[in-house]
Amino acid sequence: MVVVQRKELTLLERLYLPEVVRGLSITFRKFFEKPITRQYPEQPLPKDAVTRGQPRLVVKDDGNIACVACGMCEVACPAYAITIDGGETDRGIEREPKRFDIDMLRCILCGFCEEACPKDAIFMSDELELADFSRAALLYDIEKLKRPKSTLQKRIDYVYKLNNRWRRAP
Amino acid sequence: MTKINVNGRDIEVDPKQPLIRACHDHGVDVPMYCYHPGLTPVGSCRICQVEVAAAPGQPARVVAACRTPVSEGMVVSTDTPKAHETRRECLEFLLKNHPLDCPICDKAGECDLQDYTFNEGQARGRSSEARRKLQKRKSLGDVIVLDEERCILCSRCVRFYADVVKKPQLTVEGLGSRSVINTFMDKPLTGNYQGNLADICPVGALTSKKFRFQARVWNLSKSLSTCAECSRGCSITVEALRGKEVKRFRPRANEAINKWWMCDVGRHALAPVSLPLAPEGSALGGRLRAACIRGYNGLEPAELHEALAVAADLVAAHPRPLLVLSPFATQEEAGAALELARALGSRVCFVAPEPNGMKDELLHTGDPCPNRRGLSQLGCEALSPSAVIEALKGARSALLVGERVLETVGCDALGALPSALRLVVFDVVARDLAALDACIAVPTHVEKQGHWINVDGHKGVLNVAVSAPQGVRMLDASLHALLQMVRATPAKA
Repeated sequence: MVVVQRKELTLLERLYLPEVVRGLSITFRKFFEKPITRQYPEQPLPKDAVTRGQPRLVVKDDGNIACVACGMCEVACPAYAITIDGGETDRGIEREPKRFDIDMLRCILCGFCEEACPKDAIFMSDELELADFSRAALLYDIEKLKRPKSTLQKRIDYVYKLNNRWRRAP
Repeated sequence: MTKINVNGRDIEVDPKQPLIRACHDHGVDVPMYCYHPGLTPVGSCRICQVEVAAAPGQPARVVAACRTPVSEGMVVSTDTPKAHETRRECLEFLLKNHPLDCPICDKAGECDLQDYTFNEGQARGRSSEARRKLQKRKSLGDVIVLDEERCILCSRCVRFYADVVKKPQLTVEGLGSRSVINTFMDKPLTGNYQGNLADICPVGALTSKKFRFQARVWNLSKSLSTCAECSRGCSITVEALRGKEVKRFRPRANEAINKWWMCDVGRHALAPVSLPLAPEGSALGGRLRAACIRGYNGLEPAELHEALAVAADLVAAHPRPLLVLSPFATQEEAGAALELARALGSRVCFVAPEPNGMKDELLHTGDPCPNRRGLSQLGCEALSPSAVIEALKGARSALLVGERVLETVGCDALGALPSALRLVVFDVVARDLAALDACIAVPTHVEKQGHWINVDGHKGVLNVAVSAPQGVRMLDASLHALLQMVRATPAKA
């Protein structure tokens, strides 16, 4: 059994009104201070390289996708959000994805796909907003996931720095 | 039997087998690349090296387990630091020129080199020299493509043609680091056993053109099955991508039937098990959904019980129908069909197409009936397609039962039958035949359980690799349902 011991109130506290005035004085003081809340979405959130948004596929400077459909991200994905079907290509890498789907409703933005990728083809972008009127629209296919490498460069540099101890020096 | 000691455990082994086989048979893992139980050991990769002493207390030496015969009292240790060290050094040399292709390579996931490197190897190469550059996509005929960079020159493929097919077609060309696998005079590979090269290659150097980049192997669900292309009934594994789409058939080691091999005809027979479904609301143009019956506008899709009712009406109106089984019928389905035939008092036969001339010395029997022996044992009469047509001409009604039965009897010949004959068919695909009253969908051989008896009397199991389309009922269940309906409505005498 829990015995609650109430605090003995002083005479000033028992008078009630002085305490109300003290409380309201804090409220009125806050009116004239700088607000710490943010007017989202009118004011966007600050984004940095550490922002782990939705995964996106890197399109290299030559216009080709960096992915070779190895399936590592598909295996690493704890939410089973990724589905890949590969196919043959005439490029030197021989294989490329014919289908690369990420179910954004399943994706939990954990970044395991980015970590698993041996080809630096998938990175967590700083895109965070995800809303639509249908579920089908949030099943992203390869065209919706493609991003030029330059837009992801900040994150790529950050990940390289983070994983540097595993990588051979360039 | 010879007694030897492996890793402190006394085991009894066959003296004719090499040491590596003895270890594998007793659950001791010894890595191997050039050794294959079906081929002559050559000891070229040196990855199977273990420490062996002639007797307890004798000095131990490191030897290749695939080239060492077992001898009485031998003491073998596969796990000592020295054995590991020797194997690791060999592995480093094998990896010296092996490209970092695993993300692209089709073998990744079932690659011996990858597995053993993961267990044993070091994560970084120590060499600073560039890897050798060779041809990445060299076609060796219609079935196999060679990646020369990935090859570790184990020569399994060379020995496969020399030892198993007995018609050498491949060789190791060049010397030293310039050695590559090639065919004689750059001719493409020929023969019916090329597909096995992709299976026995321990790395991804020889890959199958048909399967190339079709799926990652860990996404394939595997189930034990039997090949349907000839009466040999090779033991196979059916591999389906994400449990839905059959992507390849691979041989499964079975010393009694097919050893480790299978022919390309069976390996590439994916078309009959990957038919698209007929369009919604139509009975033709693909795999039949549930059933169809003849209506005013030709064949119309119907519920299973409606089609079974048509069948029951037919056998009530024209008793003693001829019951023709498909050569692909399993023993279980044939049993259900025979029970039905006894109730109807009808004659049972099965379609046995003529030998197709594919017969060879190794596996293919040339007989396209996988269950000929089993059906004959059950008392079904084997009739050639033309004999079946003759028998149908004399009948008033007939039931054609089993997967691909229309195709094996011949649709053209069936279409030319007199209109007095009425047919009810249990098949995968419906055809618009004038005599057809109803067709009931059945599963293909990768969608059902059962067994076939092969030409030598060995049992071949079938298992469910992919689920049958919605509405398709197992054939023996449909036949039992028909039997119940027949018993409920006795035939008009």
